[in-house]
Amino acid sequence: MTNNELGGSVVILLPEHLDPNRKAEKSLYTMNPVTETPESQVNGMTTTTVPPGSALKAKSRPRKAPELQTVERRNWLIHLHYVRKEFDLCKHLIREQLEETRGMCEYANYVQGLILRQEGKIQESFELFQLCNILNPSSVENIKQMARALFLLGRHKLAVEAYLQAEDKLDKPDWELHHNLGVCYLHLKDYDGSREQLMFALEQNKHHQTFAVLAKLYLLVNDVSSAISTYRAAIEYFPENGDLHTALGLLYMQTGKYQQAFEHLGTTLTFDPNNTRAILAAGSMMQSHQDFDVALAKYRVAAQSIAESPPLWNNIAMCFFGKRKYVASISCLKRANYLAPFDWKILYNLGLVHLTMQQYTSAFHFLSAAVNLRPTKGHIFMLLAISLTYLDDEENARQAYEQAVRLEERDPSICLNYGIFLHNHNDKEGAIKMINEFEVRMVKFRHATGADLDTEIIENGAKLASLLGVDGSVFRKKPGRTRLDAQDETVLLEKTASVTDTLKPVEESVCQSPPPVPTAIPELNPSEVPDAGNTAVLVPPMEALTLEEPPAFVSDSSNARGKFLASARLQFQEDESKVTDTENKKETPNSGFAEYSDDIFD
Amino acid sequence: MGKMDPLFLALSYFKRRKFEKCITACTELLAKNPYDQAVWSLKTRALTEQVWVDECDGEEEGLADVLMDDNTIASVARPGTSLRTAPPSTADGPSQTFRPSTQSGRPLSGVVRPGSQGGRPGTMDQALRTPRTAQTARPMSATSGRHVRLGTASMLSTTEGPFINLARLNIAKYATQQNIAKALFEYIYFHENDVRHALDLAAQATQAQEFKDWWWKVQLGRCYYRLGLFRDAEKQFKSALKQQDHINTYLLLGRVYIRLDQPIGALEVYKEGLDKYPGEVTLLTAIARIYEGLHDLTKAVKFYKDILHHDATHVEAIACIGTHHFYTDQPEVALRFYRRLLQMGIYNCEIFNNLGLCCFYAQQYDMTLTCFERALSLATDHSVADVWYNLGHIALGIGDINLAYQCYRLALVANNDHGESYNNLGVLEYRRGNLDTARAFFMTAASLAPHMFQPHFNHAKLAHKVGDLQTSYIIVQKALALFPGHVDSKELLKTLETHFHTL
Repeated sequence: MTNNELGGSVVILLPEHLDPNRKAEKSLYTMNPVTETPESQVNGMTTTTVPPGSALKAKSRPRKAPELQTVERRNWLIHLHYVRKEFDLCKHLIREQLEETRGMCEYANYVQGLILRQEGKIQESFELFQLCNILNPSSVENIKQMARALFLLGRHKLAVEAYLQAEDKLDKPDWELHHNLGVCYLHLKDYDGSREQLMFALEQNKHHQTFAVLAKLYLLVNDVSSAISTYRAAIEYFPENGDLHTALGLLYMQTGKYQQAFEHLGTTLTFDPNNTRAILAAGSMMQSHQDFDVALAKYRVAAQSIAESPPLWNNIAMCFFGKRKYVASISCLKRANYLAPFDWKILYNLGLVHLTMQQYTSAFHFLSAAVNLRPTKGHIFMLLAISLTYLDDEENARQAYEQAVRLEERDPSICLNYGIFLHNHNDKEGAIKMINEFEVRMVKFRHATGADLDTEIIENGAKLASLLGVDGSVFRKKPGRTRLDAQDETVLLEKTASVTDTLKPVEESVCQSPPPVPTAIPELNPSEVPDAGNTAVLVPPMEALTLEEPPAFVSDSSNARGKFLASARLQFQEDESKVTDTENKKETPNSGFAEYSDDIFD
Repeated sequence: MGKMDPLFLALSYFKRRKFEKCITACTELLAKNPYDQAVWSLKTRALTEQVWVDECDGEEEGLADVLMDDNTIASVARPGTSLRTAPPSTADGPSQTFRPSTQSGRPLSGVVRPGSQGGRPGTMDQALRTPRTAQTARPMSATSGRHVRLGTASMLSTTEGPFINLARLNIAKYATQQNIAKALFEYIYFHENDVRHALDLAAQATQAQEFKDWWWKVQLGRCYYRLGLFRDAEKQFKSALKQQDHINTYLLLGRVYIRLDQPIGALEVYKEGLDKYPGEVTLLTAIARIYEGLHDLTKAVKFYKDILHHDATHVEAIACIGTHHFYTDQPEVALRFYRRLLQMGIYNCEIFNNLGLCCFYAQQYDMTLTCFERALSLATDHSVADVWYNLGHIALGIGDINLAYQCYRLALVANNDHGESYNNLGVLEYRRGNLDTARAFFMTAASLAPHMFQPHFNHAKLAHKVGDLQTSYIIVQKALALFPGHVDSKELLKTLETHFHTL
């Protein structure tokens, strides 16, 4: 059989043709057609007139060994189609080529593997790269692709082995290889090894991905300053990369350097005005500077692209809250809550807004939901206690305050609120204890941040101190207390009672911690987003909604045929096991219920 | 006192809709004189009236109609011109994230209509697993349930054999006698459910009338429609409309276009009808339904409101407007509409369920649980799962995860095919850290409810988290096929693509 002979000869020819040196050289530029076209031209000259199908005939001519080298004849064409993403054509061509060469064409297999990977069939693509590796064991590129396939399949250990094998074969270092090794080590939680590899990769070649992975690594080991310096270095090389700027800005925000954070976020927005993460972060910073209109303008841009993002709606709501448009704020928060029912921050904000609206029961419900989801946050307990105070549930309010003080050890406002509460309920000792605790915390707070508390909090603290007869000198910052002297006891008590009310500012400052939330969220995205999915899920709940009844009625009313007809139709419906309520109606006291419902709703 | 003329008595019975008595009287008269055309015709009409069904509303497509549908004009319709393609990205109103969709990929409507839940399955496998299959034995057979039911009416009265033996009927003779032919046609069409003979009669009768009687053309069109010859039906209806404007004809013509999946054409027909009969509720309803199916919810609601303008007790319109308000963050407004339904005397599980949900989202907490209790006590086997499912959401809303878990479990007990519950259980398990259980739940949900994108997305997200990029990549694409505008899915796909496309 000539065919068999042919096949045999090809096998012999192949290694000779793909001699290691040239292959290695080629593998460096696998995708570069320049290296291939010359060959194909040479081959083309021998076969110019012969269309691919008749290649066999041409080969059957005796003593024409050189023509059999056409294994790579059409590599350039395959390559061309591949880079144009014309996968169908490409696959067709590859199939022909592989049939012709009986699966011996390395490049065809290689591209086939790449295409399969893009289609998500990694296992199959892995097998093809293995085949390539058998065909040409000296090519580093093949091993690298195998390793990559292993990585994508989640077998990081094997991937590391493959990469190391590839490294052995390489005479000069390759940044990509080390970068990938670093990523694999990262997944294997070998942080030191990973850092080493990534640093090495950076020495070879600066690449923004490497920088990003390295920074992520530092964050994983809680080394924020190194992460920041990594990003800074990265930005020197890639000053226009929005993602790097955003990441750096968010890190600065976390560390409290708002000025720098804002600069970097601003840079991101100049290069990419639609970067939603940067918009959210920048917006939340503007919010904390009371610049609500600008923030809203930013959010409007973001809302175009991520209309279903809970943090976005949360931030928008808090903008409205700052502008004292409470109803708008509530409806935005409700939407955010609808999208992310597991997010305690949104529930917390809902509670806060309702407290401000003096709807204490609603506030209580939202806050208790928030507590259920996040039982370790002191601030929620404080708001819960405030709402309980207004609901006249002294016992539980007291417990909530205790819990709040226990859980939150830094914020002075909790102690103040608790002190006021205790004072109003004639527990002077407890109140004095709390005001002292408040002092301690306030001093600490001043030391820690160098800034002072909100003046209203301090004023309220001074009032309470004077009422309790404690030395309130700490509270005198600049303004000093003036108003208090003239007022007599009872009025003061009234005042302090409303203090909890005026503590809004306190709560507000608390509420501004939510806006940071959004900023945090972009970062948390990997972990948080599933929640978003959940939320999305939750939407369907209404499924059952209006369901079945109407259809039957609808048809009746639209056609207005006599009674008999209607009952006939209902019968049909019953057959189809739809809900019919004719009987229900008769049995239940209809009118009675109607009244009842009226009462309820009106 | 002389005896009353028996024919007059029979006529009187007929007018008073006492059809049984009318038929007995007629049978007696016919026994005396079998050739009395008046009596014969009266009996025919009485028999027909017993089973008469208005056909232009609530038609259900059978399995064969749905699957072997070759009537659709465009197999790949442009967005916004078909009731079967995915919604256009510019679709008005709340997206799928806010408003769930039905099996058929249309937005969830306020009422259940025949076919609005069953959807349009892509494969036989899917068709056989429609959500109701666990609940009812109703097979989606080739003939739809209603029409089968029609046919059985004739079988009931077999004591003395059928009233008219169709096989021995001389159709040509009766076709020329207009006084009998129309009654006879309706008898054949409705009572005997024999479309072939009905078509024969109608064809000969319209010929005998020299194509001048619009009524026969409409009947001819109906027969063609039942036989699936939509283009012929269209011709007949159009020709009938030229002679005589009639609401029913407009409705029937519109249905033809819907079956051909040409909603825009149907809209034109209905609007033409509205020009002739302004404010006609049935036409308005049909238009609103089509807009709803086309995802143009704003327009749909506009038409529903128009309906209420003309008919303030239109249940479908009230329910649909209520649903719309509920899903556009206005539960308080929705509450008012559902209250109106309750006041109108609708008293069932669904209405209380909806009231409960509206109350909860409008923060009327005291009413919420009362409504749901009532809904549960009224719930049938079919709807109880949905009520538990919604209760699960209430539980989530108050942050009681355990209660939510139990509610979803109960929903599954009531209906083992409740995909939404599976999905939400998966989410809860995911939060607890039981990733394997969560994945199993997501997979079940995806197979049970192929119209939801959420389980796909959740599964992809989960797979991505545990490093199974291949699965994640494949599944997130499924999610995007169901809901092309989902931002989170798109982002996930983007991150995955960077892995897959780098060389």
